[in-house]
Order: sequence, then structure tokens, then C-alpha cells
Amino acid sequence: MTRVHRRVAMATAVLWAVATIALSWRVLKGIDEAARSREALYRAHASQGHAPSPAFPPSIEASALASVQQEERPLIVHDPDGVELVTAPVKDADDWEIIGAVALYGRWRECALRVAAPAIAVLVVALVLLGSASAARWSRPGITALGGVVAAGAAAALTLSQLQAAAAALAPRLVVPPTLARLALPSPSLAFAALALVLLAAAGALAVSAVHWHAEAAGRPARVRETLAAWGFIAPSLAHLLVFTIAPVGFLVWISVHDWDLLASDRPFVGLAHFREIGADPSFWRALRNGLVYALYVPATMVAALAAALVLDQPLRGIKVLRVVVFLPYVASTVAIALVWQWLLHRDFGLLNAALAAVHLPRVDWLGNPATALPALMLVSAWGQLGYMMVVYLAGLQAIPASLLEAARLDGADAWQRFRLVVWPMLRPVSTYLLLTGIIWSFHGFTLVYVMTEGGPAHATDVLVYRIYQTAWEFRRFDVAAAMSVVLCALLLALTALQWRVVKGEPADA
Amino acid sequence: MAALGVTHLVKRFAGGVVGVDDVTLTVGEGAFTALVGPSGCGKTTILRLVAGLEEPTSGEVRIGGRDVTWLPPRDRDVAMVFQNYALYPHLTVRDNIAFPLRVRRTAPAEIVRRVRQAAELLEIDALFERKPAQLSGGQRQRVALARAIVREPALFLFDEPLSNLDAQVRAQTRAELVALHRRLGATMLYVTHDQVEAMTMAQTVAVMASGRVLQEGAPMSLYRDPASLAVAKFIGSPSINTVAGRSTGARFEGALSCVLHAAEASGAVLAVRPEHLVLGAAADASPATVTLVEPLGPESLVRMRLASGEELVARCAGEAPWHIGDHVRVGVAEGRGLCYRASDGSRLL
Ligand SMILES: Nc1ncnc2c1ncn2[C@@H]1O[C@H](COP(=O)(O)OP(=O)(O)OP(=O)(O)O)[C@@H](O)[C@H]1O
Ligand SMILES: [Mg+2]
Repeated sequence: MTRVHRRVAMATAVLWAVATIALSWRVLKGIDEAARSREALYRAHASQGHAPSPAFPPSIEASALASVQQEERPLIVHDPDGVELVTAPVKDADDWEIIGAVALYGRWRECALRVAAPAIAVLVVALVLLGSASAARWSRPGITALGGVVAAGAAAALTLSQLQAAAAALAPRLVVPPTLARLALPSPSLAFAALALVLLAAAGALAVSAVHWHAEAAGRPARVRETLAAWGFIAPSLAHLLVFTIAPVGFLVWISVHDWDLLASDRPFVGLAHFREIGADPSFWRALRNGLVYALYVPATMVAALAAALVLDQPLRGIKVLRVVVFLPYVASTVAIALVWQWLLHRDFGLLNAALAAVHLPRVDWLGNPATALPALMLVSAWGQLGYMMVVYLAGLQAIPASLLEAARLDGADAWQRFRLVVWPMLRPVSTYLLLTGIIWSFHGFTLVYVMTEGGPAHATDVLVYRIYQTAWEFRRFDVAAAMSVVLCALLLALTALQWRVVKGEPADA
Repeated sequence: MAALGVTHLVKRFAGGVVGVDDVTLTVGEGAFTALVGPSGCGKTTILRLVAGLEEPTSGEVRIGGRDVTWLPPRDRDVAMVFQNYALYPHLTVRDNIAFPLRVRRTAPAEIVRRVRQAAELLEIDALFERKPAQLSGGQRQRVALARAIVREPALFLFDEPLSNLDAQVRAQTRAELVALHRRLGATMLYVTHDQVEAMTMAQTVAVMASGRVLQEGAPMSLYRDPASLAVAKFIGSPSINTVAGRSTGARFEGALSCVLHAAEASGAVLAVRPEHLVLGAAADASPATVTLVEPLGPESLVRMRLASGEELVARCAGEAPWHIGDHVRVGVAEGRGLCYRASDGSRLL
């Protein structure tokens, strides 16, 4: 750790703390301007209201009203004692006409201090951390980086909780008549504050670790170059990931905790209300259950795919053609598959029923009967996925060294023992991969349901994704749909984490 | 323990490649035979045919007097140690060794006893809980050996089991394998392309080339009396010296010359082991220039070029008194010249 690095790290920490303080200040001002104590609330011309609040003192009425009418936005004025007041226009219920004004005493300095306190604490901690960072300690990058991240995270959390406490302290006291509720002031944007603070914390941690990395890599130009080049290569896809994946997910979470009406102008924060709503909604649970049942097609298809792979792994004439044929459905469009199968499964004209009729069995309305609709969909999905899974298994089989199977033959294993004791264990990573990705995909399965059954009959094929789609686009409940999406997302994340763990736990092949 | 007998074995692969061309070979009960030859000569193919991993085009394989030519590998009672060891990567060392017993449904107590015995013999009992990926090459090799001996098979097959080890471990394992053979008294067929390995380990060596066995015999008899030029060239390090010329019946005439007692006169090749070249004033000596002297400690190799351009190497005890550029006279020690027909490499004398 050179002096230069130390200084850069110090400067970064200071900058970061200052930025945090400034941001807290700014955010709190927004909150405080919107939420005033009743005692300090004045109004004028708000004729429709049943306002209990006093009228403007004559000394400031004129300037307040004039400013509001001209500017149509909050302004800061001073009362005769020089105390700062914020005046704001009051609009009618349609959010259209200005019908009066309110003046509010600012208390934001007092609250801002509460918010700034943790930021200052962060600054102190950062300085202490850096100040005490001896060369020896810096040689342990993991711990230092972790410390930085933990400190940043703690600071962000503290700041946020303070912000929330400040808002909570003020909000209940804002008992205003209905017309006054629509203050044309910037609403306290906790979400914005949260986002900014998290970004700041992340940027701070990033800066610290970057400095750290630079300190560590000093004197090793090849490594610096290599690392920079690596980041250079990652950057485009990272940007893509941030803009098109991370950001939308963040937005989704944001929607899920707000009353998010496409048409309404304000979208208040409602916390977990939507989650409680879907928790109490039986159709959500039915969709979840349907999804779980539907996912059973994955292990079933895997068994068939493995059997097919074992057969197609033989060095027989024409086997390549057969492999391609089995794989074909996977490259076909799902919609096309859905339409073809809709016809195949049709009650009156379907091939399947024709076959049944030929052997004098009763016709079945495969997609119209609640008992058979979901199994029918599973069958179609299995048919579509079989080729893909088979190809993956085939690759897995061919990756097993021939000498292992020969050793097993010499060791005395018969065909079934070779499969059970050698082939199957060696395919375990492949199977785990197929199972987990298959289940994840099965939860995404939308096209088949949309084209073939539309969730029917009697919600028999109503799966989570379809429910989300309906909630959003047919019932126009985007916020509830977002909450469901968050639940689905969490579910899939858990599965993915499981997959990672399992795959990581695999022994490396000898 | 059982003898192995291979008669008129032929293996023709799809596409017409002949891997093994009419091979007849016997490994006596409890014998250690090495199959040696250049790469691609069909050594592995013979081993696989004996193991039952490959079906012969024609011919017969007998183990312990029983015709096993068409039996599956599991019914032949042979164990094979593969070049890459072929350990099961998902099993621990213990389970790898126990595998052959498990699939044969041996009683659990018996499995424990025999696995422990095999592991103690090879000194790998400390590695029991590890997976193959966590072992060194030498350790894997021992585990593979343990897996082979735990079954007490009638016949052991080795396919270049030492070629993935470094020189030091290889030398050590070589000695251990020989000791193991003596202790088990097992019949072993050992494939290698390294003639030093074959010579030092085996009681009988069979030299192969392009699918055929050229000569079979005790290591020293192969060294002393190679039946063909190919065997003479393959056995021995450094390689035997060869000089083209012709035989007059009584003499070999060429860049080197020596007395022969051959019956016929023809184009011939004289082959002389490095230790049988005599430097100095021998009868029939030819002039040569020293091009390199390699002191090896107890002996030295002297490389030289004859006036006609042929390169020779001579082995002499201790430190060689010659230097690069020295002119020497080189001849063949009496009765040590081997002479082959130039036409087909067969022995003339
Ligand atoms: N499955 C096969 N199909 C066709 N040809 C084969 C096959 N296996 C081996 N061969 C051929 O048979 C010949 C003998 O092969 P083999 O593997 O027995 O050689 P090797 O003596 O073991 O050589 P190396 O020392 O390199 O292992 C080679 O020419 C090889 O190309
Ligand atoms: Mg080979």
C-alpha cells in the first residue's frame, strides 16, 4: 500500500461520505417539505375544505398567495420573524385548478441531522479503517473489501431506517382536509432515496476495492493489463445485464410495493399489501399447485430422454438421422407445436381420438376436460423437450471415457450394474442440470397454456406465469401481477441457487 | 493363476486395418511376459482381445486351458490395468478397490478383508477416503493395481501402466511390480513400448512389429541373438550399429569388415552392439573420426563417423581417452558381428 494509494482511498472514502450526507440532506428536505406539523399549517382560499387550520397571517398572505398563483409550485418565504416557511399551491380534487395555498414551517434541519448522523458515522468509520490500515492488513484484500462493503451496507441501512423514522414521525400529524391532501409538492421519494443510497454504497465499496486491487497489483503491469482487458470484455454484456435485466427486476420490485395504477397520477407506497392479497387469493395457490404438478413432466421426460440417449448412443447405421429427428421438435416454434397438438388432441378431428375410436374406446376431450387438460399439456411439453434433453444426455454419455466402462466390464459388472454404478453416477451433474433448468423453464411455460387452453378448463391449466399475465393485462392489476412475479422470481432464484450448490459440489473428473 | 495361450489370432478392423496379424503366443502359468514394439504395432489390440473387449476375426484365446475366445470379459477372470488407470472418478479409493467384489456380490465382511489386504500390500490404506482426482499419478496407479489384485484373477493384463509417471516413480514402480509378481505368483501379460521396461521386468519378452510377433524369448537371448534386423534394432540402448555391405560367405565387406562363417554370398547388413566395437589397433579396423564423447560415469559413449559417412557409437568402460575430432581406428570384436540379409532383414549368421 503506497502513500498514493492511501490518499486515493482516503479521498474516495471522504467523497463517498460527503455524497451520502448531501444526498440524505436533499432527500430529507423533500420529505419534510411535504409533511408538516399541523400547528404550522396555514391555508388560504381553500374554500372547499373543512380545514381546521388557521388562515395565513396577514404579514405573509399576500406574498404567499401571489407566489403560488404565479409560480404554481412550492416556494420558500419568510415570516416576519425571519423563520422559513414553504408555501405550496393546493389543487382541486381533479388535480387541475389551484384553489388555494398552504404555508408550512420547515423542520427539516432538525430531521436532517438525524439522517446525517449515520453518514457522519460512516465517514468516521471509513477514516479509522483507512487510517489503521497497515501494510499488513491491506495484504488481506478479502477482509478489507468485506469490511468496506459491510460498513457501506450498514450505513445505507441505518440511513434508510432513519429516513423512514423521520417520515413516520411526520406523516401521522399531517391531518388535512381531503382537498389539501393533494399537495402539489414533490412527494417524499423513499424509493429514490433507497436506490441512491444503495448505489452510493455500492459505488463506495467498488471504489475501495478498486483502489485496493490497484495497490495489490502495483508493480505487476501484466496483471493490471489483463484485469483491465477482462473487464473491458465483460463491460458490454454487463451493461446489457444491468439495463435489461437488473433494472427491470428492480422496477418490478418497486411496482410490487406500490399501488400502481396505470391511470392514476400518484402511486402510494403500500408495503407488502399486494403480497398479502395474493397470499389470500386461492387462485394464486391453485396456479402454484398446477405449476408444481406441471413441472413433473421434467423428471418424466428426463427418464425417456436418457433411455433414448442410451439407445441412440449405439454405433448403428442411420443413428445420426434418428438423432436429428428426435431433436427436431426442440427447434420448432412452440406456437407451431401447440397448434399441431391442439389438432392432434382435438375431440372430434384429433388423431389421438381417431386412434381410440379405431379400437372402440370412448373419445376423450383432452383439452376440454379439467382432469386431462394438464396431463395433455405435460405430454406436449415432454414431446417438445425430449430431443433437447436427449442431446444433452448423449453429450454426457459420450463424455464418459470408454475405458471406464471397459474397466467395469472386466471388473465383472453386467449391463445393468454398469449403468447403475458407473454411467448414472457419472451423468449426475448432467441430470441435476437438466432437472433444475427444466423445472425453472417449466415455471416459465406460458406459450402452450396461452395457445392451447388459456388456463382452462375451470382453471385446470392455470399456471403462475399465465396468472401473472392475466392479472396484469386482463385485470389491469399491474401491482399485484408484479408481486406475483416477485414471488416467482424468488422461487426460481432459490432453485438456481440450489443448482449452483449441487453443481459446485460435484467432484472434478479424474 | 492360469496359463494364457493365444493361437493364430487375427484382428481386422472395419475399414481393413489389420491390428493383429496371426499372432501365436503363450504365457506360462505364473510367468511375466512383456509385449513390446513400436507404437501402432498392435500390442493394445492383443490385450483387448485377450480381455474380451474386442472380438477376434479368427484365432483362439485360451486361459487356463479353457477356450474363452467368445466369452464376455466378466467370465474370463482377467484383470486389466489401463494406461490412464480408468479409476471411477465418483468413487472413493476404497470403493474403487471394492468395486469388482461388489459387482460379484461378495460377502461384505470378505470385501472389507480383501480390500484392506490389497491396500496394505500397495501401501495405500491411508488414501481410502479420497477420490481419484485427489491422488497423484503414482497413487492412482497403485489404486488401479489394488483394484486388479483384489479379485485374485487368473491373469493380469497391463497396458503401459507406467507411461504416465515421471522417470523416478517409474523406476520405483517397476521394481515394485516385479516384487508384486513374485509375491502373488500371478500370470501377467505386460504391454509397453519401452524396451528397457520390458527387458528389466519380464521373464519373457515378445517383440512385435506391424501386428506380428517377430521374436519371443528371454531378455538376454533377444539381446544377444536377435533373429531379425528389426528386433536387433529395437532391443538395446543405444541402438545397435548397422553398416550396409555384402557378404562373401567368409567375410563381410563394407565400411566395416569382419570375418563371417556364412554359407551364402549376398547383400548384407552388419549389426554390432556398441560394446562390441573395438577402438584402437584391431585387425580389420577402419578409420573413423570422433564426433562426440558422452561420459556417463562408469562408461562412456563415443560417437564417430566412418570415412564412408556411416555413424557409429561405441561403448567403453570408464573415461574415454578420445576427444572430438580425434582420428581412431574402429573394428568389430571377434565373433560379435551379427549379419542380416539386406533383402528381408533375416539372420544370415
Ligand atoms: N478400433 C479400431 N479401428 C480401426 N483401427 C484400429 C482400432 N484400434 C486400433 N486400430 C489400429 O490397429 C493398429 C494397432 O493398434 P494398437 O492400439 O494395438 O497399437 P499399440 O501397439 O497399442 O500402439 P501404442 O504403443 O501407440 O499404444 C493401429 O494401426 C491402429 O490404428
Ligand atoms: Mg496401445
